[in-house]
Amino acid sequence: MTGDLDYDLYILGAIGLLTLCSFLTRAGYFLFGDYMPLSESVRRALRYAPTAALIGIVVPELLPWRAGAGPVLDIKVFAALIAILVFWRTRSTVLIIVGGMVAYWLLKALF
Amino acid sequence: MVAQFRIPSWWPDASGRRSFNAGFVDVIPALIATCTWGFVTGIALVKSGLTESMATLMTLTVFAGSAQLTSLPLIESSAPLWLIFAAGMVVNVRFLIFGAALHPYFRHMRWPKRLVLGYLSSDISFVLFMARYGDSKVKGSTEQLWYFLGIIIPGWIGWNTFSLLGVFLGSFIPASWSLDFAAILALMAIIIPLVKTRPMAMCLVVAGAIAWLGQPLPLRMGLAAAVGGGVIAGVLTEKLQHKTRRRRA
Repeated sequence: MTGDLDYDLYILGAIGLLTLCSFLTRAGYFLFGDYMPLSESVRRALRYAPTAALIGIVVPELLPWRAGAGPVLDIKVFAALIAILVFWRTRSTVLIIVGGMVAYWLLKALF
Repeated sequence: MVAQFRIPSWWPDASGRRSFNAGFVDVIPALIATCTWGFVTGIALVKSGLTESMATLMTLTVFAGSAQLTSLPLIESSAPLWLIFAAGMVVNVRFLIFGAALHPYFRHMRWPKRLVLGYLSSDISFVLFMARYGDSKVKGSTEQLWYFLGIIIPGWIGWNTFSLLGVFLGSFIPASWSLDFAAILALMAIIIPLVKTRPMAMCLVVAGAIAWLGQPLPLRMGLAAAVGGGVIAGVLTEKLQHKTRRRRA
């Protein structure tokens, strides 16, 4: 609670709606699967939605730009590239987080 | 006289316990990743400005790391609630597909049990369960139920324990460590292993490009456009692959 009622309600609303998301998507088929046939083509197309949504969140965080000011090149991009390299060499998803953070700290100390 | 201890009727028999243990053993490697993500997600929640009580509530109710991490930049930029809901639905849509595949194994159960099982299901429970029982002719055995529980119960405990640990330790970690960047890296850790095929790579490239170009659009419409474009790119690449394969054959 922050004391700002509007803000608290906004956060509560977001949490409530995200909880609803969890129930609808995870338990939807468990509950109503008998009434919801899903065609094979829709099923195949839906496989691409999460990747697209996740990259749609990540890209503006890594490569922000504003109209007029142009793109900003942050060391985060280089840290992210190093993280991808680390995954490519090790196949460990945990090392994406660890490697990326270490790279970010090193780059920040250097530049 | 010693009072007789009565075992409740739902308690698993020896074979049920064996199945539960099999699920638990299979999920251990993934649990390490789950706990790390949980910890990072918990830190990211408080680092993005949520209070500890709100972060705790979100952890215990939402129980979906990628949806939570996705919502943080949206919440920080005061995006409208419907957009947060829409983004959460899109990121979670994979669970619909998992649910459709898992449903035949649990359809015989009463709805409150199905509700809980569905809510507690995870990416890893789908992967492990289908690897073991995907080709099984019998669907809905007790053995399968206990195996599934052996995956999802440790998962739920591990995720929530480490998320809450992150929430409460997060405020002691100085801002200069920039651990909010770990949230972005955690999202990357979800995306990168998904990109194994050419259609998925095309989906990633097209959605990424649209998301980059679409940044100045209001209401994060760039995100919606990226999802649409990414799905179309994936489906079209898949169709093209089929065509060239057929031509070669």
